[in-house]
Order: sequence, then C-alpha cells, then structure tokens
Amino acid sequence: MRRFRLTPFRLAAAILAASFASAGVAYAANLGLSSSKLHAWSQTLTKGTCNQTSATADDTYVQQASPNSTAGATDTNLTIGGAAGSQDYAFIRFDLSGCGLPTTAGADNATLTLTVTTKSNDTISLFPVYSGWSSSTLSWNGLGGLTIGPTATTAFVPSNPGALTVTVTADVDAAIKAGTLWGWELRDTSGTAVATVGSSENNAAGKRPSMTLSYEQ
Amino acid sequence: MQRFINILGVVVIAGLASVGVAAAASLGIGTGQLAAGNAAVTGCTSSSLTATRNVDNSGNVTQVNVQAVPQACAGEIVAVTLENSAHASLGSASAIVGACTGGCTVPVTGFGTVSAANVTAYALSLTQ
Repeated sequence: MRRFRLTPFRLAAAILAASFASAGVAYAANLGLSSSKLHAWSQTLTKGTCNQTSATADDTYVQQASPNSTAGATDTNLTIGGAAGSQDYAFIRFDLSGCGLPTTAGADNATLTLTVTTKSNDTISLFPVYSGWSSSTLSWNGLGGLTIGPTATTAFVPSNPGALTVTVTADVDAAIKAGTLWGWELRDTSGTAVATVGSSENNAAGKRPSMTLSYEQ
Repeated sequence: MQRFINILGVVVIAGLASVGVAAAASLGIGTGQLAAGNAAVTGCTSSSLTATRNVDNSGNVTQVNVQAVPQACAGEIVAVTLENSAHASLGSASAIVGACTGGCTVPVTGFGTVSAANVTAYALSLTQ
C-alpha cells in the first residue's frame, strides 16, 4: 500500500475544498433553507350575484298600541316611529335559499333599497334579527321571543320621499354563514315622528324592498 | 518537516470540518424535508384545508378562518395571503395554531384594509 504524503500543494487544496464547503453552508442558510416542513396550498373563490326582490321578501310592522295585531300580510307600507307608548317597529327579511350558497360562502357587498313614502327627520336604525319570524304571526307582544342584535348595523334619515339604499354587508355575510337571513328590525332611535316605507305588498313594484348581493364561494 | 506538515494538515482540515458542522447545526440545517407549491410533505397534515372570511359592513376583510386544522398542527404557523385575479398579494397575515379538541378553526387577522370583492384566492401554508 502506497503511503499518502501530504504535500503543501495537497494541504492547500484540502483547505480550499473545506472553505467551499463552509461557504455552501452559509449560502444555504442565507437562502432561508432549514429543516422546517412546509405544506402550502391555494383556494380559488368564485364570484357571483344574487339580487333579491319583493318575491323573496317578507316584511311587517308591529304596533305597541295594538300589541296583538299582525299587519304585514296586507299593508302596502311599513310604519316606523311614533310617540312613547305607541311605537311601531318594521321588519324586513329576504329568503336567500334560491341563491344556493353554502355556509362557507360570504357576502362581498350587500345593499338594501327602501322607498320612503312618508318622510321624517328622525333617525331609523337597522338592528339584525337572529331568530325566525313571519309576517303572518309577528305582533308587538311577540317581540320578546325574537333574538335581536343589540347594536345597529346602520341607520338612515328618511328626510326625502323616494328610494334610498343602506349597506348591510356584514349582516348578510354573517347570515350566509349562519344558513338563514332573518333580516332587520327598523326602529326610530331619535324622535317621535312617523315614517313609512313601501312594503312587499305595495302596488308599485318599484316601491317594494329589494336587496343587491354580490358574493363569493 | 514532512511529519509536521502532515499533522498540521490533519488539524486544519478537522478544524474546518468541525466549523462547518457547527455552523450547519446552529443554522438549523439538517436532513429535514422542504417542499413548496401544492405538494404535500410529511407533517401534521397533507390535506388542502379550506378557509372562509368575515367582512365588516364596508366589505373589507376582517378575519380569515382556516377550518378543520388537525390537532396535530398545534404550535405550527398558518399563513394566509389574500390574492387578486392576477395572483398579486393584497395582504398577508399569520397565526399560531392553538391547542384544541378535534379540528381547529384558526382565525387569522391583520390584513389591513382589503376589499373582499377584490379577493379571488387564498394562498395558505402551514409551517413547523
């Protein structure tokens, strides 16, 4: 067996090789390579719209002065406001089942359009409703059985007759995830005036409530 | 003289090798596996998990919820990037998977002001 002789040239070559190895280690570290395991994937979203008309709406109003009456099935306007002891609250909802949205979907944008038929300068606030109701049965005395959000989503002042829109994106997004949109309670939160908006039974189709909905799924 | 060179050479090479190993160890470089894209590697899950998002009333993303993350992923980092139709990033955020029973829903917040209408894809990752 031939004996290996470490000459100055061989020593220099070995040092050079070792230096390259060290540089490689440093370069790998500089690139962020490590022993961590990574699992990456992507999820593509589909966009769409599902606008709502009076055909998919249910609405009513309840009267403190007539606590057992139900007014929603026939009245052409929804009354909101009134003096203490005779307040009226309106309720509006839409049936989104025709949109075919899963509970993993969400609203990108949703706006509610109402038509003011009797104006006032009071503020009307929209509170989200989280439990079921029907215009054929809901009365003032039935309000205690409803679950209504404590915070208004939005508000408007019906100071001019005609159409107005309010944004309800957050509520509709939450309702899609919950599986059902139970709509809103409309309540006068600033005064005693009475305002009215067109109901889904209004003779003029253009005065009925409607909602635009852009969604993702 | 030759013997001295031999000994010196062995010492120098051994020293450099030790430095290299030490550097690799301190930098966390080992025999672990690395993958990217949609490929799954051994880890807490190989599934492509789904995510949903919440919005405020202006339609801006407030939170992304990564759903059904296996319990085995507790302690790992889940990162989410919101992408537009050109797959450009609109915002990114991450969170640590907490301990939970069964599948975890991991909320990820802090994307800044990003309109949900502009988001067409989520890029997600789990990292140990």
